[in-house]
Amino acid sequence: MRALRLPRSPKVLLGLCILAFFIVMTVIGPWLAPYNPSSTAFAALLTPSSHHWLGTTSLGQDIFSQLLVGARATMVVALVAGLVATLLSMTIGIAAGYLGGATDDGLSLLSNVFLAIPGLPLLIVIDSYLPVSSRSNEFVIGLIISLTGWAWGARVLRAQTMSLRNRDFVEAARIIGESRTRIMFSEIAPNLLPVLASSLLFTVLYAIGAYVTLAYIGLTSTAVWNWGTMLYWAQANNAPLSNEWYWFVPPGICIALVGTGLALVNFGIDEFINPRLRAGGISARQRRELGLPRRPRLGLTPVLRPRPNRSLASAKLVTK
Amino acid sequence: MSALERSDESPQVDALAAPVGPAEKEAPSPFVLDVHDFSVDYGVGTQMVTAVRDVNFSLQRSKVLGVAGESGSGKSTLVYAITRLLRAPGVIRSGSAILRVALPDGHGVEEFDLVQADERTLRRVRWSHVSVVLQSALNALNPVLRIRREFDEVLKTHRASMTKTQRRERSVELLRMVGLSEDRLDRFPHELSGGQRQRVMIALALALDPDLVIMDEPTTALDVVTQREIINELNDLRSRFGFAMIFITHDLSLLVELADDIVVMYAGAIVERASALELYDAPRHPYTLGLLNSFPPLHGARQELTGIPGSPPDLAQLPAGCSFSTRCPFVMERCRRESPTLISLDDDHRQVACWLHEPGASATVPVELSQRRRAATSDSDLATAESK
Amino acid sequence: MSDVATSPALLSARSLSRDFTTRAAGRFWNAKRVTHAVEDVSLDLYQGRVTAIVGESGSGKSVLARMLARIVTPTSGQLVFDGTTIEPHHKRGLDYAAQVQLVLQDPFASINPIHPIRHCLERPLLIHGATKDDVAALAGAALTRVALDPPERFLDRYPHELSGGQLQRVSIARALCVRPKVLLADEPISMLDVSVRLGILNLLKGLCVSEQLAILYITHDIASARYLADEVIVMYAGQIVERSFGTSLVDEPAHPYTQLLVASVPDPEALDEARVVGQHEKLEVATVGCRFAPRCPHAMEVCRTTSPPNVELAPGHVSRCWLHTREAHASLRVNARRVDEGGDI
Repeated sequence: MRALRLPRSPKVLLGLCILAFFIVMTVIGPWLAPYNPSSTAFAALLTPSSHHWLGTTSLGQDIFSQLLVGARATMVVALVAGLVATLLSMTIGIAAGYLGGATDDGLSLLSNVFLAIPGLPLLIVIDSYLPVSSRSNEFVIGLIISLTGWAWGARVLRAQTMSLRNRDFVEAARIIGESRTRIMFSEIAPNLLPVLASSLLFTVLYAIGAYVTLAYIGLTSTAVWNWGTMLYWAQANNAPLSNEWYWFVPPGICIALVGTGLALVNFGIDEFINPRLRAGGISARQRRELGLPRRPRLGLTPVLRPRPNRSLASAKLVTK
Repeated sequence: MSALERSDESPQVDALAAPVGPAEKEAPSPFVLDVHDFSVDYGVGTQMVTAVRDVNFSLQRSKVLGVAGESGSGKSTLVYAITRLLRAPGVIRSGSAILRVALPDGHGVEEFDLVQADERTLRRVRWSHVSVVLQSALNALNPVLRIRREFDEVLKTHRASMTKTQRRERSVELLRMVGLSEDRLDRFPHELSGGQRQRVMIALALALDPDLVIMDEPTTALDVVTQREIINELNDLRSRFGFAMIFITHDLSLLVELADDIVVMYAGAIVERASALELYDAPRHPYTLGLLNSFPPLHGARQELTGIPGSPPDLAQLPAGCSFSTRCPFVMERCRRESPTLISLDDDHRQVACWLHEPGASATVPVELSQRRRAATSDSDLATAESK
Repeated sequence: MSDVATSPALLSARSLSRDFTTRAAGRFWNAKRVTHAVEDVSLDLYQGRVTAIVGESGSGKSVLARMLARIVTPTSGQLVFDGTTIEPHHKRGLDYAAQVQLVLQDPFASINPIHPIRHCLERPLLIHGATKDDVAALAGAALTRVALDPPERFLDRYPHELSGGQLQRVSIARALCVRPKVLLADEPISMLDVSVRLGILNLLKGLCVSEQLAILYITHDIASARYLADEVIVMYAGQIVERSFGTSLVDEPAHPYTQLLVASVPDPEALDEARVVGQHEKLEVATVGCRFAPRCPHAMEVCRTTSPPNVELAPGHVSRCWLHTREAHASLRVNARRVDEGGDI
């Protein structure tokens, strides 16, 4: 692979920082947690203080510890679901797009069916059939969420593959005798990396939403701490009505932040993966220095008119 | 990169032929377009690449200027920048492009500097006075509009006084001019062949009787037979309406047929300028010679041609000195150090940027660079004509 | 060309045809329309010889090349490779892929932008039985054969870092690295800069001589066909209309279409000569009789009803036109020669 560069866009950098923060939290959160999140050893409904940064629940559990411990389950489910769904949509989408014919018809039907069935009810139905022991297993939950989340990505990848299928480099691979599997996964798939990455981000986002929802309506094991179960308990104990904001706001903010981080990173995917797309930008500052209009306009090529007291050379120095 | 000493003597240099046709009226300047010290960059700062360097040329009324060059030569960049149609990150760094158009009453001339012009002026000038035909007509025509609508839009915008019937009549007239029948007006672009689409583009470009038509490789995507038909038609139209034309192509032999003057560009600069026949008979720049020898001939014994070694220039990494020095068969020590400027040759009104032709230079001009045709003929006698 | 009869053809096409069914949108239902992309084409490729096919876009020349490479299945007709007859329903095996290789037109599109150059040379080698240890050396050798020297400078670069001419050389190296006997080149120079085109043509010629390759050179540029090829074949609307050896086809074109083609090429040497005046693109291609009849300045009654015969005008010089038959000979042959004066038709 080409060397990856740090993206220039501040949006993307911010997104990456947010995600990095939560990934660190996933890994070391449970060890950092000051107390056992299930322990009811404290007084109930303490407001935030130096002992309990986010206060305690009505059962006297430390909310900050719940938040830290809950990050792991939430993120693991989201990642498992995102990866599996992307893998599924890649295999099904590329195969449908490249092989065409009856294969395409069959696979397209399958993904259309999954698209048409509303995801959450299906999830609830599948989940309610699970033995209770599996409901506490993040991997099983992740797999199930991925089942309802792959279809959209498959449609997009199928369309993209169909536009690549007749490209010359695919024909060239056929001419040298490359096998169909290799053409699909070694020649076509790498060209779809931006789509794949973007699809991964969105399924991760979807999986967080789905998992939190499942937990919030009480369909996952309440023995496993995640941000959804926190909301479930807060709701069950009327926290929103009793003004116990420290109980339900922190998990809500965490979910929103992860979502924001994913969305921000998505902005930079093209730039990040394809270095050829970087070139050509002129920063707002350079535009001011050189007397160029603020935005490029079609049909009006700008003319350099440097400010009189600044030479072009000094304007150049400003750029990095 | 120094300024070229053309400006003072430009009328002389460019007086290759007396003006003809409509321009013979008391026009103060015979030139419809004067481009001076024109430079274009892509991007600014460290990422900047100079695509056109200090280009000077003028174009007489009713004449055809051919611009020849390969990818990266800056030929398209140049004309798009002159018309201010170049897209971001293209930036005009310096220069002027004076357009002189005849006033409607036939007396006097109006001047515009396209580089300084604001959007309103440009809108007034474009299409009415300068029109552009692009390489891909399919991309230029709106796929969901019938051809009739394209004509309507242009006429409505620029000739507001025309009635619907007049517009219709004018559209039919224009189509006839380019050899298409009336019924094409109701077609969609995809229902026409490539050649027909390109004819529609030419008809559209001529809709408002422009003074200057710019053609950017209009026939490159077409078959030779269609190309021939369109070239014939352009010649015909030009003799009828007297517009000047800038014709951009990589096909030098096509230009020799079509153009009055030819400008050869390499790596963003003009390396040679001459009248078409002079250029063909006796190219002065080694690059021009190489280009001419890159087209296998249709006649005579088959002989091995060599073309030009190496690759077209990468504008981001031009060699020091003359940009062509790395590919030039006649390269000298000096070429690798200093960049030659465009100088006028004494023997006729042509210009070349090559140290071989520097006045008082010690180097002798290779025989190929003074009389290509003669050299080629004598070569062919010796050539091992393939017996197979 | 005298050795034509003595050495047997390496790859032959016998009456190859290919139809495409398209659905023409109708008001209520979609009517099926059959287009004959290639019709009854026979040709022979010999070791150490370049055969050129000249035609405009839509003449079926690219489909023909893909049928010869067997990535498009013919509707009817056979291929004969090295004495073995291949029917349309036979499956293409790896051995055929190793013997007959196709170079595509656009080098920027035919090399996967995501992989380094090394990948596109090592894959064919690995597929066709090279071992992992040899591959690097063989890939380097392949680049040397197409004059990309030294190979180390190119192997680890990405396609967007090379110029068009270099990429086309890589593309040829990819075809050659499996040591094929037949090289099919589909417009290998049309996307390249003028100054590097001759380099590619000379490379093909050199390979043809030094490695005794049988080369099929497909082009729309009749001058380059004249420059390179030992035999030139002109196709129009899926059919071969004229073929001849050496330069004779371009020097003395017999078929009205070939004459039109030759007269249309920009030729500064012929500035003074009268030029063909366009006929404003009579686009229809006839479905009965001669395909070219609607555009032909000499079309006769018979041309519109009956397909013309192949007439051998000189040894090896065959033209498919009624004008050459004995019946039409006396009155029309002269006329055909002077097509470029038939301006105002």
